[in-house]
Amino acid sequence: MTLLPLVHDGLLVGAILFALGLVGILARRNLIVMFLCAELMLQGIAVSLVAWSRQHGDWGGQMLVIFVLTVAACEAAIALVIVLQAFARTGRLDAAAWQSLRESNLPRVIDHGLPAPDTVAPRFPRLTPAGVLPEQDEDEVLHREHV
Amino acid sequence: MSLATTFPPPGLLLAGAVAAAAASLWLLLPGNALGGDRRIRSIGAALGVAALAGLALSGRRLGGLGEEGVFLVVSGVAIVSAAATIVSRSPVYAAIWFALALAGVAGVLLVLGAQFLGVATIVVYAGAILVMFLFVLMLAQPAGLAPYDRVSNEPLLSALAGAVLLGLLTVSIGRLSGEPPACCQVPSRTTAVAGGTTDAAPAAADPGDPFATDHVARLGAELFGRHLLAVEAAGVLLLVALVGSIAMVSRGASVEDASADGRAPA
Repeated sequence: MTLLPLVHDGLLVGAILFALGLVGILARRNLIVMFLCAELMLQGIAVSLVAWSRQHGDWGGQMLVIFVLTVAACEAAIALVIVLQAFARTGRLDAAAWQSLRESNLPRVIDHGLPAPDTVAPRFPRLTPAGVLPEQDEDEVLHREHV
Repeated sequence: MSLATTFPPPGLLLAGAVAAAAASLWLLLPGNALGGDRRIRSIGAALGVAALAGLALSGRRLGGLGEEGVFLVVSGVAIVSAAATIVSRSPVYAAIWFALALAGVAGVLLVLGAQFLGVATIVVYAGAILVMFLFVLMLAQPAGLAPYDRVSNEPLLSALAGAVLLGLLTVSIGRLSGEPPACCQVPSRTTAVAGGTTDAAPAAADPGDPFATDHVARLGAELFGRHLLAVEAAGVLLLVALVGSIAMVSRGASVEDASADGRAPA
């Protein structure tokens, strides 16, 4: 079998997206970010399936992607409810908050030496003032009903 | 035509690119052993750019300059935003980067000839699923950056696992495409496709043509012809998910209300 050049590159992109999603799901602790990484892996799968559809010249891959999209939507709805319920119980979106579910012979995860948060505050764009400030009538301000 | 005859050999180039990607992810992930100051992060970003260049060089040359340029741009957007998604400290920024990654993926799908799926990805993911994510984040995010967003589980081992997986996948993709020389013809459609289609889908339907004007019509004919039963099953699945999520939310709320009132949950 000879792959089309475009199909080869598409499969490469799909593999990279899948691997990135795997790294994220292994490394991150935030439940929602882990879930985003799972969606990233699904995107990699979708790209690979469409590439195979192109290679074979039939609709099978694209049909599969449509159903992958459907299942991903259902999965997102259910999983976000579970995440919300977990947050309601622990007050944290931390996967390690549920570590009492671990195997009994595994050590407990304890965070030592947390890195300090970034001290540099994010800089947001600021609107430039336009026009002049209108003069305020003192009486009118005092007698205004809703301030 | 690949770079097989040039220096560096493609295997070495690919291995270097994958290793650079793993090192870059390790340096960029929050809470690695080296600390995450600005200098370390810029080294990681530089390594990531090198890895991206290596991977781009190990790809096949596409036909025209336009197609190749478009593919490089959209796949670069997708990959860079995906990497930024997994290394962002703030989950809100991660979600925004994920939206950009979706835009890149939609572009890749368009280039690969799946017009409908490219648009559907934007509509379904960026329009619906991502907004749901952001709603949950706004509902559940504590003020400021949480401590668990500043650490990772084993960043070095995770990056290594990703590198091993990527290496295996790229090697097998290279094997697939490298066996017989040249002859870049689409293999003719198998008889299974032509034999199984209903009369609504013409036998000459080639989904690979990205400029076909009746792409969506033919996709719809295929979807509601051969895969009608699967469409019904998907509809049932969506309904079950809808009912299930509503039931779980309301049940959790009633349990909390009951325990707050000091009553046993119903």
